[in-house]
Amino acid sequence: MKGLLLKDFYMAAKYCKAVLLLVIVFLAASFLGEENIFFAVYPSMIAGIIPMTILSYEERDKWIQYSAALPYTKAQVVSSKYLLGLLFWAAAFLVSMAATAFRMIGNNSFSMDTFLVMGTALLILGLIGPTFLLPFVFKFGAEKGRIAFYVMIGFVCAVITLLTGLGFQAILPFSKPVLIGICGIGILLYILSWQLSILFFKKREL
Amino acid sequence: MNALEIRNLTKTYTGFRLDHLNLTLPSGCIMGLIGENGAGKSTTIKLILDMIHKDEGSIQIMGKDNTKNIQLLKEDIGVVLDDVGIPECLTAKQVGKIMQYTFQRWDSKLYNSYLQKLSLPTEKPFKEFSRGMKMKLGIAVALSHHPKLLILDEATSGLDPVVRDEVVEMFSEFTRDENHSVLISSHIVSDLEKLCDYIAFLHKGKLLLCEEKDRLLEQYGLVQCSKEQLLKLAPSAVKGKKISPYGVQALVLRKYIPANMVISPISIEDLFIFMVKESV
Repeated sequence: MKGLLLKDFYMAAKYCKAVLLLVIVFLAASFLGEENIFFAVYPSMIAGIIPMTILSYEERDKWIQYSAALPYTKAQVVSSKYLLGLLFWAAAFLVSMAATAFRMIGNNSFSMDTFLVMGTALLILGLIGPTFLLPFVFKFGAEKGRIAFYVMIGFVCAVITLLTGLGFQAILPFSKPVLIGICGIGILLYILSWQLSILFFKKREL
Repeated sequence: MNALEIRNLTKTYTGFRLDHLNLTLPSGCIMGLIGENGAGKSTTIKLILDMIHKDEGSIQIMGKDNTKNIQLLKEDIGVVLDDVGIPECLTAKQVGKIMQYTFQRWDSKLYNSYLQKLSLPTEKPFKEFSRGMKMKLGIAVALSHHPKLLILDEATSGLDPVVRDEVVEMFSEFTRDENHSVLISSHIVSDLEKLCDYIAFLHKGKLLLCEEKDRLLEQYGLVQCSKEQLLKLAPSAVKGKKISPYGVQALVLRKYIPANMVISPISIEDLFIFMVKESV
């Protein structure tokens, strides 16, 4: 699997330069600007979808078929994308959290509760993309997966608008056990999505 | 041991069926899989590599079921696909590094010597390669982990004659080791005629024949005659005919033809065309 990951890094370095630049700009904005959760969360969200970008290039170049001629199992091909997603997300997560902590300390407004809420939001919103999209991409291919991506974005926006309208923030209990529970569910869904993608990809004909 | 044994292999798609295919490739031999576009050559290769699921039948690669432990089996197989499949942004140098972590027996020295021999640039991205260069890089990768079986899907199509000759020479060199075998599919029959020990004809998903090339050339011949002369021949002797205002050209089995008739040798390409288009 080392070979697959190395190839993914080469491809990410080539095709995701713009994404990396965006991450830096948004991190700088979140560090320098006022408290705006969007600037802090966005880098994790886009870092999480790097595997989908690479998969669409791989489909175009017929790597998906070629990888089946190499000594890799389909489970390894899928796992390399989930691991890659985790690595990029983790890097964005750590940098975002560090930037948030520095900004809060710099503003004399550091609060552990807010910091943990931010961490939970970064985890959930960073993993939500690959969790829901990768099984679609591995089952139907990158083209149809992209349609699923737009549907998902629309759905998430609709849900957030609806919850905001209902005064969701006021009733949300931000206690530590709840936050840990939310993180646990996020990680569990990521693992379930991983297994589902392996199942779909094993059945897919290349 | 046979390099490849295919028994009753069947795969159905809407409008196409690979129908109970039986093939045996003995170790140390080169088999050419000949067929028109859509005959089932790529489907057969995909089934061998377990890229698609068979409906029926079995495939053994070097004595082992191709669906069990395929990961280990692929260490012994070198594959070149029609589209090669190397990501366009990668350079030959990067491909070498990736394959170093992919194959247990990857030989970097051998790979670099192929790159040099084939005049392939190491730092140029794959997308800037010509079709011939792309194919040559695919072949260099396929050969650099010391495979025992090479599977080549249309690896010579789209190449100019000079590159094709170079590539055919590389495959011949590979089979000088008696443990090495090659399965090569193509619709360019002349390439396979030069290279192969065995020829398999696929047509609309069915195997028309699978035979040693030299035996085929010994068994079959071409007869130029009149319609009346053709009628006098035993029906079992005539396997195909082309009737024109100038007479008849017939594909015949030499052993059934009277000694006084002139039989010209037939090329594999003509044999295939007669069998597909002019069969009786």
